[in-house]
Amino acid sequence: MKTDVAVIGTGLAALAAARTVQQSGRRVVLVWPGLSSLYFLYATVDVIGYPTATAADPIAHPAQAVARLIAQEPSHPYARAGMKAVEAGIALMLEWFKEAGLAWEGTLDRNFLLPTATGTPKPCCLAPASMTAGDLSRPDPIVLCGFTGYQDFAPEFAAANLARQWRTAEVSAVRITAPGYGPDRHFTSIDLARSFEDAAFRDAVAAQLRERVTSQGARVGIPGVLGLTNPSESFAAFQRAVGHPVFEIPTVPPSVIALRLFDRLRKHLQEAGIEIIWAAPAHAADVTDGRCRNVLLKAAGHELPVEAESYVVALEDWVDGAFRAGVHTVRDPFFHQPIAWSNVPTDRTAESLFATQPFEQVGYALTERLQPADENGTPLARNVFCAGGAMAGYDPSGTKSRGGMAIATGYRAAQEALAA
Amino acid sequence: MPDTSTGVVVIGGGSTGAGVLRDLTLRGIDAILVEKGDLASGTTGRSHGLLHSGGRYCVNDEQAAIECVQEGRILRRIARSAVEDTGGYFVSVTEEDHAWEPRFVEGCRRTGITCERISVDEARRREPALSKHVRTVFWVPEDGHLDPFYLVVGNVESARRRGARVMTHTEVSGFLREGDRLTGVRIRDSKTGEEGTIACQSVINATGAWAGLVARLLGVEVKVVPVKGTMVVLSRRLAHAAINRCHKPGDGDIVVPGLSVSILGTTSAKVPHPETLPIEWDEVRRMIEEGAMMLDGVTTARAMRAYAGVRPLYDLGAEAEGREMSRNFAVIDHQERDGIKGFTSIVGGKVTTFRLMAERVVDVAARHLGVSTPCTTAEVPLNDRDEPLDQLRHRPSVLGVPKPHGEEPPLQPLLCECELVRPQDVAPWFKDPAVRDLEDVRRRTRSGMGPCQAAICSYRLAARLVTDRGVDGPTATRAMADFLETRWRGVRHVFWGSQLRNMQVTTGLHMELYNVDRQLMLDPVAGASPSPVAAEGQGGGTAPEPAQVAGQR
Repeated sequence: MKTDVAVIGTGLAALAAARTVQQSGRRVVLVWPGLSSLYFLYATVDVIGYPTATAADPIAHPAQAVARLIAQEPSHPYARAGMKAVEAGIALMLEWFKEAGLAWEGTLDRNFLLPTATGTPKPCCLAPASMTAGDLSRPDPIVLCGFTGYQDFAPEFAAANLARQWRTAEVSAVRITAPGYGPDRHFTSIDLARSFEDAAFRDAVAAQLRERVTSQGARVGIPGVLGLTNPSESFAAFQRAVGHPVFEIPTVPPSVIALRLFDRLRKHLQEAGIEIIWAAPAHAADVTDGRCRNVLLKAAGHELPVEAESYVVALEDWVDGAFRAGVHTVRDPFFHQPIAWSNVPTDRTAESLFATQPFEQVGYALTERLQPADENGTPLARNVFCAGGAMAGYDPSGTKSRGGMAIATGYRAAQEALAA
Repeated sequence: MPDTSTGVVVIGGGSTGAGVLRDLTLRGIDAILVEKGDLASGTTGRSHGLLHSGGRYCVNDEQAAIECVQEGRILRRIARSAVEDTGGYFVSVTEEDHAWEPRFVEGCRRTGITCERISVDEARRREPALSKHVRTVFWVPEDGHLDPFYLVVGNVESARRRGARVMTHTEVSGFLREGDRLTGVRIRDSKTGEEGTIACQSVINATGAWAGLVARLLGVEVKVVPVKGTMVVLSRRLAHAAINRCHKPGDGDIVVPGLSVSILGTTSAKVPHPETLPIEWDEVRRMIEEGAMMLDGVTTARAMRAYAGVRPLYDLGAEAEGREMSRNFAVIDHQERDGIKGFTSIVGGKVTTFRLMAERVVDVAARHLGVSTPCTTAEVPLNDRDEPLDQLRHRPSVLGVPKPHGEEPPLQPLLCECELVRPQDVAPWFKDPAVRDLEDVRRRTRSGMGPCQAAICSYRLAARLVTDRGVDGPTATRAMADFLETRWRGVRHVFWGSQLRNMQVTTGLHMELYNVDRQLMLDPVAGASPSPVAAEGQGGGTAPEPAQVAGQR
């Protein structure tokens, strides 16, 4: 298989890179190593939520905060991508969402503050339109609604936390029994999402909610299950039937909100004739004379070489195989370089699960042009560029910056690949 | 904490204390068990879960071996639900092991352990994962897996149904005395610090590795040597049966099939205090290397976590150290030895022989109380009332089935997908006042013990604290975080491969999807409280009296 640019990865970094190449008019192939569990983290695009991993106050203006970060930390992935890539990448994605029929909102000039399933306010930059009515800068009271037997959103738990954190208006919890669902049925978010595409089901749920939500001007928070394949229509119809503003709250995998985003973007690329190679993890790069000649994929039953002028390695992180951690040595799947070494495995971790983790910092050393480099700063291959979680120092957990870093670095790496 | 009174106070909620409580109750003696942590949270719950045939001790520790043989047979009768009859193999891999074989065979003969030499080919047919190093194999059908949590809970619930009381997270802080006679204990709630007393006629110290510390409160000495053992849990069951090295007991020479996992054990190191149990990388490495000598797949299987427990070895004054010390036990009659009436200690021993230990110590205490009712714990099964106790846990019903979950009715809702725990399995425990935090729920149900290490079920369990107990949001969040942190402490030691990838999902989920790190930071109540569910009493909890709970169970 031959192409101009091969993009390897599953997440937003890879999608942003593929879109960038597509927009340039060059040929692109997207290689997906397999569905990643990081999928569910993309219910929203978080550009930067907090200035540091331990800061308590959320950031209101993400563009300013990223600019500050770039000035302060020249080795930060945002600094490596550059402010221009942050702005151009976000603009590219917003435009793509629109073109693909995904209703999203947000700008780099402000963060939403949306409640999570634990009832914690969380800053995020871009969000599906079905989530933004939950913004806590609005003063309207909130009724959180859960379903009998659905364990991944507990309105009582979320309301108990949110009521303490957010004192602007009333927060309450209701639980209703959706037709056909109950404590004895095994079901997931996907089952509920499919049911919500049925008008009769939607109306039956809405009728119960109308009865239970009595306070004037209240908005209703509901787990993110309002339709899978036609979310905009399902959402609009449901909101009309409820008679109150409705907002979705993302849940654990399988996260319907994330599935909608990825399924739609992937299909949109395919509709444009872009080849996607599914479930084929890359396991070696053939490098001669400092150039990568092809990348070998493990496809079903055979080995598939992908040959491109340049490559964007945009794997999200450990989860989708950006690196392989042995007991002591971390290696990458392309160049088989030792990326990190730890004397004992505990050295990769912090004492607390909720602290900054050394293993999250692990990644390729990079050149100015985002090429993976050896310890002397020489590129491992001139035509390979890196984005996403495989970059050193890429740790979005504490600052809530996963989506923004993915998009900015994906965009920048694709620009470099096009220039190569 | 209101003052109360009883006949006998049992200190310690491990297998021994639970066995003592049941024994007393079956003899008609009113009793309260006081445990400073949770049931099975000390030595018992941190054992490797091998129901010893006695083969491990038959050469060097004949008495312990004979007791294992007898008690193993009794446990299969009275505690069927806690035992998986896996059988076991003793395998030789080195020249040294080979030289041990005649002594092993002779030891088995002397102590009455059923043992049959089988060909390596036959062994490999039964256990395909046996390594190429294996040169001799003995089949020992009476090795098994003993679920330590279920064993303790089963004993305690059996006693509770007969009126016994249990106080978990309650520490004995001192004793009440009148002259040379004990008249009660002072207690303190470990979570709230509330204090109270229990008046009683007799106290049994069944605290294992902590026995010396408890006895010291009375100014008497009990010489217990705390010896640490570290274990590694693999996410897959590599063998149907328990695999032992046929040699002088040493490090890393047992692989126990615990339900769906394999447990590699164990090490042996003296520690200064029973709660000082650091896990060393060298121990973890050795467990894996030694395990790989016997079984293929040990090095490639997903290591889920490591944990350490403490053996309560009793110092008989001999020169022996660590493994050389006897696994035998001793009853100390402090009335006879120290002139303190109403105080008895039981020390040494092992989980497999807990029932016998309980019988012996209760014999002494009952004699002083003037009770002559004989012990019946060897005859009365734990679940003797035809109550659906067994259904609370997924138990293998057929011998040697690698995955014990086969009989699960399809498509039932699950709270913990890894361990197939259903919402109705956890619900009763949220009504039990002895269950104080999510770790307590885990010990009773296995939720959170599978490969994902509570990434998903922690939210569901924390939500139940709010819905079922009326706990406030920050307290429930803290309980969720504490539950995950406890899992994390074990996972950190095997942080490579799939488990590393898994934990990135956990941190992503809790920090990025839920923003829990900020919830903990922002809410001073959630952030500052060291004790997760301590507030449930004030939170409008609906906890019924223990007797009521027993009725429902």
